[in-house]
Amino acid sequence: MQELLGRIARLDPSASLGLRVIACFDELVVGNVNTRALLSAAASLAGCVAGFHQDQPVRSLRVNPRGEVLRDTTAPVPPTATTADGLSVWLERVGDALPNDAIILERLALAVRIRHGRSRTGFDHRRDLGRLVDMDTPVDERMAAAGALGLGATRLYRLVTAPLFAVWERHPRGPEDVVPTVHGPIHAVIVPAQPGDETLKASPAGIGVATQPQGLHHSFRTALVALRLCDPPRVPTVHADEYGGLIGLLADAPAASAQPDADRLAELEAHGWGAATIEAVIHSQSVRQAARLAGVHHSTMQTRIDTITTLLGFDPFDGFGKPRLGTAYLVWRLRRSRVLELPSPTKETRT
Amino acid sequence: MTVAPVLRPEFDAELRAGLAVVGGMFPPTITDDLIDFMRVSYASPPMDDVLRDRGIAREEHVAPGHLGDPIEVSVLRPPGQDGPRPAVVYAHSGGLMFGDRFSGIDLVLDWVDRMGAILVTVEYRLAPEFPDPYPREDMYAALEWTAAHADALDIRTDRLVVAGASAGGGLAAGMALAARDRGGPPLVGQVLDYPMLDDRGITTSMHQFDGVGVWDRVSNQTGWRALLGDACGSESVSPYAAPSRAENLHGLPPAFIDVGAAEVFRDEAIAYADALWKAGGDAELHVWSGAFHACDIFAPHTAVGQSMIKTRNTWLETILAD
Repeated sequence: MQELLGRIARLDPSASLGLRVIACFDELVVGNVNTRALLSAAASLAGCVAGFHQDQPVRSLRVNPRGEVLRDTTAPVPPTATTADGLSVWLERVGDALPNDAIILERLALAVRIRHGRSRTGFDHRRDLGRLVDMDTPVDERMAAAGALGLGATRLYRLVTAPLFAVWERHPRGPEDVVPTVHGPIHAVIVPAQPGDETLKASPAGIGVATQPQGLHHSFRTALVALRLCDPPRVPTVHADEYGGLIGLLADAPAASAQPDADRLAELEAHGWGAATIEAVIHSQSVRQAARLAGVHHSTMQTRIDTITTLLGFDPFDGFGKPRLGTAYLVWRLRRSRVLELPSPTKETRT
Repeated sequence: MTVAPVLRPEFDAELRAGLAVVGGMFPPTITDDLIDFMRVSYASPPMDDVLRDRGIAREEHVAPGHLGDPIEVSVLRPPGQDGPRPAVVYAHSGGLMFGDRFSGIDLVLDWVDRMGAILVTVEYRLAPEFPDPYPREDMYAALEWTAAHADALDIRTDRLVVAGASAGGGLAAGMALAARDRGGPPLVGQVLDYPMLDDRGITTSMHQFDGVGVWDRVSNQTGWRALLGDACGSESVSPYAAPSRAENLHGLPPAFIDVGAAEVFRDEAIAYADALWKAGGDAELHVWSGAFHACDIFAPHTAVGQSMIKTRNTWLETILAD
């Protein structure tokens, strides 16, 4: 994988390889893999032999970048090893350390300790962010995590979320980590909520609602929904604020919740004009205005709206029609979101 | 009516960690507009250091491809070769649209320095610029060329194998079919790693992995359409291009087929092995639990990757080694 990391760096100089290392070990910890597998990953990422030694009972293991277990385990633990609680891990780098060596060794040490049933305390400060944004963590633990991250209890912050392969043109300062989600590992950054703050430029990225540390779990979920609404290069970033309380409802709706309006809307995919027309209707007060926004003739728009009305069973310009259409449209976009699956399109042209 | 979630086998934990690293470099869903990106992203790294470290000698040849057009062929020789050696004609991976004759070659180099075989790896031309029959006929022409020049190349014609991975696996199966039908060089084996065999995309596994892992249904469609154009899925597709379409699998060399349980090609690989057995043939089939497509290339350090490589090499060793 060292070769892969080098390749990624060449293709996308802005890629944060350290985050990929963190995400890699996160998956290994979640998968509860053994010491051999952890050393294999470290050796493969580093491109050199990775070693492990425990004092009680004495046991040593060395693995090369191909994942092959080496027979020779007689060499003493090198001085560069990370050692705690009788567990040592190291990289057998010949020559100067490479930029990712430190993060690989840090994550390897942590993962080995967890596999061997040692406590995480004191070794795991990076995990504070994961606890802070986890709704199921008790509030006092979340506030302790916020304190450890240096957040003020009464100040307002936002969560910014992005896939690991996002392209960052301007990277905001603030605590960051990789957080496992049902959508895979997500890069999360906490930024102070300042009006008109433009320190962030990334694609794709979702920006959550502003809240005090106690509510950052909610900001994280709204940021995730915002991220999934991105559609780069047309829509590189989405602010949860644009959708107010609606995005909060979407963030907390169970994945399998029934959304009959969105189900019906999916049938519009057959029409090439579907998405553009719905966008125009949502942003308009009348058929005439929608026609102007979409750049089509009034009668064309009327025909399309008739189609939509028949399909959905309600008039989007009448009563709750507009919010129903808007909600269905967002659910539909979330269902077909591919933003977490594809490489950022800007990479395609950077050759 | 809500959309039912797609049921699918999970990826192995070590492989999931590998995917976190690969992320975006080999996107799960490859569409036409990503072909150029993939040609950069999947290009092989420089090989000279690797070959030198392993004591493998490299010769460059130009062989006549389809219609006699010149194509590049690399011949990789084991350290200290002394006298004629068995040979493998190899078709690389890359969905018929990208990759080169050294893509994913690391694993195959074991056959050269550990088994003493000669590897003939072929720069077949790529779709969509060179649609069917260019890729498969370039490969077949390289096979003929290898056999015809066996003396000069110091190759044993009684121990000739075809092999390939992914798109190359499909091409290798096609070579074996064509060699049988055209009275071509006799083959002693075919190694089909997670092969791309069927342009119709009709299996269950083809629909289980949309948007996840490496090489999903849409990517596969992109590859086949690049190769076959509008003929894709029609009755006119040649079994040499899409070997799953072959009606007669009798009289083929022994096959080694491996595939991941968590990839789109699972069911067509199983069906091909089954069809070989039904035709009285010899096939060894391995379906690897938790494995995504070509995971041994992307994550050879994992337990699954190691098992795949070792099992394949053991099979080939029984055929190739002295």
